[in-house]
Amino acid sequence: MDTSNPAAFVNAELLRMYVGRRVRAVIQVLRNDGGSIFGKSTDEQELVIKGQPPNPLTTFVEVIGIADSNRSIQAEIWTNFGDNFDVSSYNTVCQLANGDFKHLFI
Amino acid sequence: MAKTVTPDAISVILANPCPDSSSDLPEIIVQVVDLKPTGNKYMFMASDGKMKVRALLQSTLASEVTSGNIQNLGLIRVLDYTLNDIPTKNEKFLIVSKCDVVSSALEAEYKAEVKVEDGVNSLKQNQEMDADVKTGSPAIVLKPKQEVVTKSAAQIVHDQHGNAAPAARMAMTRRVHPLVSLNPYQGNWTIKVRVTSKGNMRTYRNARGEGCVFNVELTDEDGTQIQATMFNDAAKKFFDKFQMGKVYYISKGTLKVANKQFKTVQNDYEMTLNENSEVEEASNEATFIPETKFSFTPIDELGPFVNGRELVDVIGVVQSVSPTMSIRRKSNNETIPKRDIVIADETKKTVVVSLWNDLATSVGQELLDMADKSPVVAIKSLKVGEFQGVSLSALSKSIILVDPDTPEAKKLRSWYDSEGKDTSLAAIGNDSSPSNRNGARSMYTDRVTLSHITSNLSLGEDKPVYFSIKAYVSTIKPDQAMSYRACKTCSKKVTEAVGSGYWCEGCQKNEDGCSLRYIMALKVSDASGEAFVSVFNEQAEKMIGCTADELNEIKLHDGEATYQKKLKEATWVPHLFRVSVAQNEYNNEKRQRITVRAVAPIDYAAESKYLIEEMTKIKVSN
Repeated sequence: MDTSNPAAFVNAELLRMYVGRRVRAVIQVLRNDGGSIFGKSTDEQELVIKGQPPNPLTTFVEVIGIADSNRSIQAEIWTNFGDNFDVSSYNTVCQLANGDFKHLFI
Repeated sequence: MAKTVTPDAISVILANPCPDSSSDLPEIIVQVVDLKPTGNKYMFMASDGKMKVRALLQSTLASEVTSGNIQNLGLIRVLDYTLNDIPTKNEKFLIVSKCDVVSSALEAEYKAEVKVEDGVNSLKQNQEMDADVKTGSPAIVLKPKQEVVTKSAAQIVHDQHGNAAPAARMAMTRRVHPLVSLNPYQGNWTIKVRVTSKGNMRTYRNARGEGCVFNVELTDEDGTQIQATMFNDAAKKFFDKFQMGKVYYISKGTLKVANKQFKTVQNDYEMTLNENSEVEEASNEATFIPETKFSFTPIDELGPFVNGRELVDVIGVVQSVSPTMSIRRKSNNETIPKRDIVIADETKKTVVVSLWNDLATSVGQELLDMADKSPVVAIKSLKVGEFQGVSLSALSKSIILVDPDTPEAKKLRSWYDSEGKDTSLAAIGNDSSPSNRNGARSMYTDRVTLSHITSNLSLGEDKPVYFSIKAYVSTIKPDQAMSYRACKTCSKKVTEAVGSGYWCEGCQKNEDGCSLRYIMALKVSDASGEAFVSVFNEQAEKMIGCTADELNEIKLHDGEATYQKKLKEATWVPHLFRVSVAQNEYNNEKRQRITVRAVAPIDYAAESKYLIEEMTKIKVSN
């Protein structure tokens, strides 16, 4: 397992701490433009995800890539997470993974 | 009236924690030390020069402090008070509800000098040599002048016992045995005890006929308790004689080893009184109904007690009171009055409490009449049942106090008045119903870890206890009997009939075919440990993924490898289980038996929420 470049769990608020670095986030797809998608982060903010979304694309998708601004991610890996997703639990995970339990993640 | 601190005032208070406001208290003057405001009330240390106790002035007295009447280092005469225990520390807490100001601030904290008694007191002698002030503590000048008080032994005894009747005297004229010394082999005893609990008269019927019985809980001066039971004639003879709170001399009872199932007090023995037993009221003893000691469980924490043996105490605000209902008892067709009340507490949950017999008619009616005032009730000794999730039921020993004057009641009252009566309250039963047909949602009631079950072998001793667990199937032994031959109609075990076919004992007929139904033992594991559980047909089918008949086909026709693979596919799969834990005796050994009653797949969203909650709890408790 390649642990050389770990991706931090982020929501919109945490994204700005990782600009330029590798992140992962679950996004609810709002608009799909082909070259990028507009999605809602797990803390209810809008983010732009650039790259090649898979076809078909489910409502929720996890993207892993480089954060190129505090509102967008250049996605390398896309994973369909289906249409049912517990957003609040994931958001709590993001907060815990960057807060009290940061030492367990990065 | 001497304007001095009453010597040993604190001892007097400690000896009499709950004085009747009508009785005459001995003069209790204490010095107020370390007076400080907390919120809108004042806390201080009440000092008698020798001992101090943490104290609080009731809010009605706060104005006395702000106006300057009660001052720090001043003296107050305590007129009415309550002494409580602080549960977490081994300390007492005095609440002063009424007092007079005796003096404004003294120059310093008063320290009682050593009492002049008959014995030689070297400390005093030393001090007398050092200083020639009258008081024993050097360099403290006290205004007003304190006087040395000599006390006789009788005085000291009186102060220490406050206003309690002189108990010692009677014990010397009658040879009273302490309860702790009673045993079945020595019959010649007399005990002096107070009735601390009196049960109702119950009627029963057994092979020998009908009868009536009641029991009382007796406590002696040392605090030892024992249960005494009376049957038939003795019951009728003594039922009216025994009154709650009164003291009696009892002799000629018989003792035997207590039956654990019915044990209510901590004693290896229990007593039976028959018509020859003697019960005499101790006429000079004051009736003292001991203050009911409660240990409240918040409503949202009642879950783990469901169907258990442990009784709970609750306190809550009455939301509603039902009219009296008549329930017919199945065993003897007797009709009993019943009333249900709904109470709520600060956990924003409500629960139904069923009251029976006298409680339904007396207290129940009282509560119905005052229901619109939302009274606070404190109830002791309730059984926790699983009706509609979680329900409480009163027993004959349950005690109900309406609007009690306790700190918990006051806290509840102020919570209710400020926010409780407007918030929406949820019934505790609602989202934690153990009706196991509905899988996921119910799997969070009484969630425990496997080690919680395996480490407590006395779980389910008389009645099975239910829990929810999340565990992985870790081992299914391939060479066990996975199933049994079952009757297609009634699912009972069938035996091979003499000719052909099978004989079902339940249906009392021969069947041509039979079906196989799972009965298997498997091992499950979770983060805390592992355990063996028994699984029956419906649940096993879900877990293995095929019926017992199909599995048997695979075993017979598809070969051992495929068969084992099928079992392997079921391992390391997580499930939510609803299990029952019971204690069985096997070859004289007590064994714990865990049986799966329901199985449900993991609902990851719900499970995540549960885990987040648990993490928060751990964080808070740290």
